[in-house]
Amino acid sequence: MDDQGQYAKLFNDIDSQALITLGVILASTILLIIASQRGLNWVANRLHGQVRFRVFALVPLTRLIILIAALAIAVPIIIEPSLRNMVTLLGAIGLAIGFALKDYVSSLIAGVVSAVELPYRPGDWVNIEGTYGEVKHVGMRTVEVQTPDDDLVAVPHLKLWDSAIYNANNGGTSLQCVASFYLHPAHEAGWVRKALRDVALTSAYLKFDKPIIVVAEEKPWGTHYRIRAYPVDPRQQFLFVTDLTVRGKAVLSAAGITPALLPPDAALDARGAAL
Amino acid sequence: MAQGSTNAALSPWDVVALDTFQTPERTQASQWRRSWRAATTWMIGREASERQAKQESELRALPEIKLAHVAPSIDWRPAAARLEQALKPYHDAPVVLFISPPHGGHSAVVSHWAAQQGADCLTVPTLKELIDGNLAWVDSATQTKHWAIPALERHFLRHTHGLQGVRELFERALSGRLGQSVIGCDSWTYAYLQHAVGLEGIPVLTLQGVEGEQLAHYFSQAAGECPTVYSTRTGKLILTSESDQKAVFKELQRLAAHCRGHLGIAWHYWRERLREPAEDVDADDQQSEKAQPDSSQELWLLDALADAELPADTGDVATLLLHTLLIHGGLEDQALKHVLPFSDHEALNARFALARRGILSSQQGRWQVAPLSYASVRQLLESRNYLVDPL
Repeated sequence: MDDQGQYAKLFNDIDSQALITLGVILASTILLIIASQRGLNWVANRLHGQVRFRVFALVPLTRLIILIAALAIAVPIIIEPSLRNMVTLLGAIGLAIGFALKDYVSSLIAGVVSAVELPYRPGDWVNIEGTYGEVKHVGMRTVEVQTPDDDLVAVPHLKLWDSAIYNANNGGTSLQCVASFYLHPAHEAGWVRKALRDVALTSAYLKFDKPIIVVAEEKPWGTHYRIRAYPVDPRQQFLFVTDLTVRGKAVLSAAGITPALLPPDAALDARGAAL
Repeated sequence: MAQGSTNAALSPWDVVALDTFQTPERTQASQWRRSWRAATTWMIGREASERQAKQESELRALPEIKLAHVAPSIDWRPAAARLEQALKPYHDAPVVLFISPPHGGHSAVVSHWAAQQGADCLTVPTLKELIDGNLAWVDSATQTKHWAIPALERHFLRHTHGLQGVRELFERALSGRLGQSVIGCDSWTYAYLQHAVGLEGIPVLTLQGVEGEQLAHYFSQAAGECPTVYSTRTGKLILTSESDQKAVFKELQRLAAHCRGHLGIAWHYWRERLREPAEDVDADDQQSEKAQPDSSQELWLLDALADAELPADTGDVATLLLHTLLIHGGLEDQALKHVLPFSDHEALNARFALARRGILSSQQGRWQVAPLSYASVRQLLESRNYLVDPL
C-alpha cells in the first residue's frame, strides 16, 4: 500500500490544464524546430563563404537548445523533480533503453555530441565508412549525406563512436582537390611540373590564398603527377578537378607527352593513387 | 601661399606607394550600408527602400553639351606629372608599376607620362599571339632603353600559354637588359600576376584614395563655373561655389567611400547621376541651341547606392565571368572561351545577361564591369572568397 503511494507520488496529477500545457509545449517545440531548421537552412543556402558554414552549424545546435528548453518546461509538469524521483525515472528509462532501444538512443546521444563537437555540419564534405558527399542535414538520429551521384545517404550518428570521420573542409571554405596524370616515363619532368602548375594557376576556379603543389612520383609503369590545389568554393570541387584534367591533358598532349600504358598484368592501385 | 598649400592638399593626384594607399573614411560603413540596402530591397521592395527627398521622376538627365561643361572628361596629365615626381626615389629600379582599379586611369596616366618623357609604348599583342605564346611583342622592348606599357592587362591571358609573355618580359626587365620602364596595370591584373608570375620586389605606385572634400574641390574646379548641386536622397546641398561650407562634403564623402576613393569611378557616378529639374525643358532647349550652358542652375545628384546591383543569389557562371573580366581589365567576346571553363555559347549567354542588366559595359569591343556596378561586384566577389585587388 505504501509502495503504491510512493509510485503514485512520482507523477504529478495530470489534469486537463496540465494536458493542455503539455500539448502546447509539444506543438510549440515541433513548430519552433521546423521553423528554425527550415529558416536557418534557407538563409545558409543563400549565403556564401565562411558565413554559410557558420549558419549551417547553428542548425543542430538550435534544435538541441529548443529540445532542452522544452524538456526543462515539460518534465516538472509530469513529475515532481526531486532527486529520488529523477533517479527512479532515469533508472527505468535506462533499463528500457538497455534492452530495447540501445542503438536508437545511442544515435540520439551521438547526435547531441555531434551538435557540440561538430565533427560534421551541413555544407561539410565528409567520408564516413566509404560514403563521400556533402552533408545536407544533421538530424537527431542520422546525418544525411548527398553523394556526387545524387544519392541521399542517411548515416546514423552512432558511427561517431567507432568510425573515422573524414571531413574535407571542416566547416571552412578550403577543400583540397587532386587531379592525377599518369605519364609515360620518357619526358622532361621539370617542364611537366611547371606546365601543370600553370594549368592550376590559370583555372577560373582556383582559390589563390592556398598553395598549389605538383607532386611527382615515379612508378614502375611511368610517372604519376598530382596537382593539389583548392577551389574557391568546395561545391566547385568536381568542376575544378575536371577543368584541371581537361586543360592538363591538352597541354601535355600538345607537347607530345604520352600517357603511361600499364602492362596487361599490372593493376593500378586506385586507392593508393588517389592519395 | 596658404591658398597654394590648400590646393595641393586638395589635389586628387597624390601618387603614393601601394602600401600607403588608404581607402577614404567610412568605406567600411559604405559596404555595410550596401548590404543593408540589398537586404531591405529584398524584404520590402525597391520602391520602399529608396525613400528620396526628391523623386527621380521630377528630374531629367543633363543634355550632353551641358554635361561636357559641368563634368568634363578627366585630364590625367597632372597625375602623369606627379607620377614623374614619385618615380624619383626609384631611379635605380628597372621597372616600376603604376596600378589603378578599372576606370581608374592607369592607362591614360602612363600614356601621358610616356609622351612627356619620350618613352616608347610597347605594341599590344593580338589575342592569337597570346594564345600561341608568341613572344614577338616582348622582343620589341629590346629595341629601346626607355619604354612603357600603359595597360599590362592587354599583354596577358589567363591561359596556359598566355602567361609566357609577361614572365619573359619581367625576367628580362628585372635583369636590367631592357633599361628602365614604367608599366601601367589594372589593380586586379596586378593581384592575379602577383600569384601567377610573382611581382615581389617591384615598386608599385598608385593614386591615393580621395576624400569627399577632395572630390568637391575637383568637381568644382573641373566645371568652368561651379554648379550648385543637391542630393536627391537628403535634399541637402552637396556642392556649391561657396567654399567655406564644410557640411556639404558629407554627401560627397559618402560617394568617395562608395567608390573606395577612386576618382575615375567617382567621376562616372558624377557624370551619370547628375540630373536637372524636368520643368526647365524649354529653357534648356534654348540654352542648348545657343551652346552656352548656364552651370549656375541647380542640379541634383541621384543616390550613389541606387546603381546596378547584383542579387545575392548570383550564380557561379556569372560570378566567374565577372571575375575573369576584372582580372583581364575587360575582354572581347572571342577571348571568353579561352579563359572560361564553359562553352562559347554559355559564356556569351552569361555576358549578354549581365550586359542587359547594366552590370557590364563595352568599350572598344571589350566588355568590362560598368563603373556604377564596380563597388557591388567587388563586394560580391570578396564575400565569395575570390581574389580581389589590393585597392
